[in-house]
Amino acid sequence: MGNVPGKIDGGQETVSRKQHRSESLNLGSQGPKSVNRSRRATSLVGNLLSASGRARSDSYNSSGLNGNSSNPYKKKSTKEKERFREKHARQLVVKYTETVDGGFLAPFGCYSFDKLDYDADVVKGLIIDRKLAPFYTPLQDFDESWTREEVLKIVDGLPLHSSFQQEPEEFEGVPIGDLNDEDFDYLLDPTASKREQRRQRSKISRARLYFKRVSWQERSNEHFLELKLLSRRQPEQKIPTLPSNDLKYTLYKNGAECPICFLYFPMPLNVSGCCKQPICSECFVQIKRAPPHFPHDEVDPTQDEEPDEMKDPNLLVSEPANCPYCAISEFGVTYEPRKDMRTGINGMHVSEYKAADSKDCDGLVSDSSSNEGEEIVAKEQTRRGSIAADDPSVVTSDSIRPDWEINLIKERLRLARKSAKATAIHMSNQLIDPEHPSRHASVSSSVDGRDCGSSPQRRQKTLDELDDEMIQQAIKLSLQEH
Amino acid sequence: MQSLQTQETERLVSDPVPGITAEPHDDNLRYFQVTIEGPQQSPYENGIFQLELFLPDDYPMEAPKVRFLTKIYHPNIDRLGRICLDVLKNNWSPALQIRTVLLSVQALLASPNPNDPLANDVAEEWIKHEDTAIAEAKQWTELYAKPTQSEPQPE
Repeated sequence: MGNVPGKIDGGQETVSRKQHRSESLNLGSQGPKSVNRSRRATSLVGNLLSASGRARSDSYNSSGLNGNSSNPYKKKSTKEKERFREKHARQLVVKYTETVDGGFLAPFGCYSFDKLDYDADVVKGLIIDRKLAPFYTPLQDFDESWTREEVLKIVDGLPLHSSFQQEPEEFEGVPIGDLNDEDFDYLLDPTASKREQRRQRSKISRARLYFKRVSWQERSNEHFLELKLLSRRQPEQKIPTLPSNDLKYTLYKNGAECPICFLYFPMPLNVSGCCKQPICSECFVQIKRAPPHFPHDEVDPTQDEEPDEMKDPNLLVSEPANCPYCAISEFGVTYEPRKDMRTGINGMHVSEYKAADSKDCDGLVSDSSSNEGEEIVAKEQTRRGSIAADDPSVVTSDSIRPDWEINLIKERLRLARKSAKATAIHMSNQLIDPEHPSRHASVSSSVDGRDCGSSPQRRQKTLDELDDEMIQQAIKLSLQEH
Repeated sequence: MQSLQTQETERLVSDPVPGITAEPHDDNLRYFQVTIEGPQQSPYENGIFQLELFLPDDYPMEAPKVRFLTKIYHPNIDRLGRICLDVLKNNWSPALQIRTVLLSVQALLASPNPNDPLANDVAEEWIKHEDTAIAEAKQWTELYAKPTQSEPQPE
């Protein structure tokens, strides 16, 4: 889920892209300016501090956030998280009133909702700016021999969104209460344990969100359908939000298949900046960085791996997404909108669009295909040079998930916290119980196997060290709790 | 999501790859029964290997899961039939397809890579005594990957 709240302003894009170029941060190399806690203790604590400090200021710069209230590292309450998810889900509703050149601002739903974790504000903005192809409703197939009437009939029958499962197994028997109520605490079992209630809450909230999404989308579908029926009954009445036949035909007559999902979309599609291969917006928003992980060359499944708590959290990395076609790093796409069409947001009404030669649209096809030929020639000339990922015309995978860096640092902090806790428990065992095996082992190893009793000085020193370590761990823990 | 696979499945059936078959299961369209012919001039020549292929929910953003069902003596395929192949792991790309994955598996049969082993004992043998290893692989092919009567005998 995108964790950067707030609207993104125009200038943000170039800033964030520059920052996102580095694959992994070199934590601790730069002291933060904004840290106002006194910095005592170890370099590890320093590292953690500078990591969070830096990233905090980064995220303010990049998304124009202000005020400490939106610190992305602050733990969100359950209700905040639920509200955030709901807001995100609302943005993924396909609305027939919000169109750009005959496409939409939200995806059709080829991929599951859980995977639509891109920043919807950013993507909508890019589509409105005609920097990314709109989300068009796909066709399963396209037959060149279809007549204009057949194409129109098929396009008119297209739903705004792929169908929802009526009763998903996952939510069977989960109470959802009244979806209009914001509060649903009454659905929880008051006699259950806190832990069980938390589990119930998350399940109920997921189910509620699902059915809310269904109802929001259905509302939009119904309005759209009513308008279509109205226009069929009264063809003389112009409905500004219903696309003209010319628009529908021009779009779908000139389409192409996305090589990843095999679905058919109106042209032009986005093209990869590196190797100029087409990709639909729905597939593009699926491509993202690898989740934070430790670098591994080859994982040997026959051998036990070192548990993650034992590794240095600063080694966690997240590589930028590769181009699915040519595997070049920092995947990005460009989009060149049709020059002869600008409808919907920042354009004319979809109902007013007329093809260049509207008297005979089949004539237009041959016309446009010859134009296309010229276009292809023109494109061929620019094809040789691929466009660098930091070119302003390129939309990178990172730019539509600007929170990747925050997520990486959060994961590092989470792991650091986990290992700090483990160490603290280990240390306290050593202090409390003098006969604890771990204590014995550490002391005797420090005196090269000699009897520990014979070297009281050494032993004293080890205890002091333990004390120090305990204090350091405590500081570390308290810092991470913010 | 369902639509994404059906499209690909249809093409797989209508335009098959020579030496490879992949058929979706009747009750589960994500589950494929696969056969791969052993490449010529490899120790697996004349063998027909059964595999299973499963498309995870996130396919094509996530690689399909592929496993040999037929026993095979190969340094990059272990006793459980698991395959060590880059495109099935880190080098997966959503632009790859079931077809390309299976071709890669077939290519792996043609050129085993004992330096990046999954079955360590096989790899060791492959490096130290290549002749015996190849003979062993041929014997296993003869034993376990014999085509059944109903299937055409590759020449």
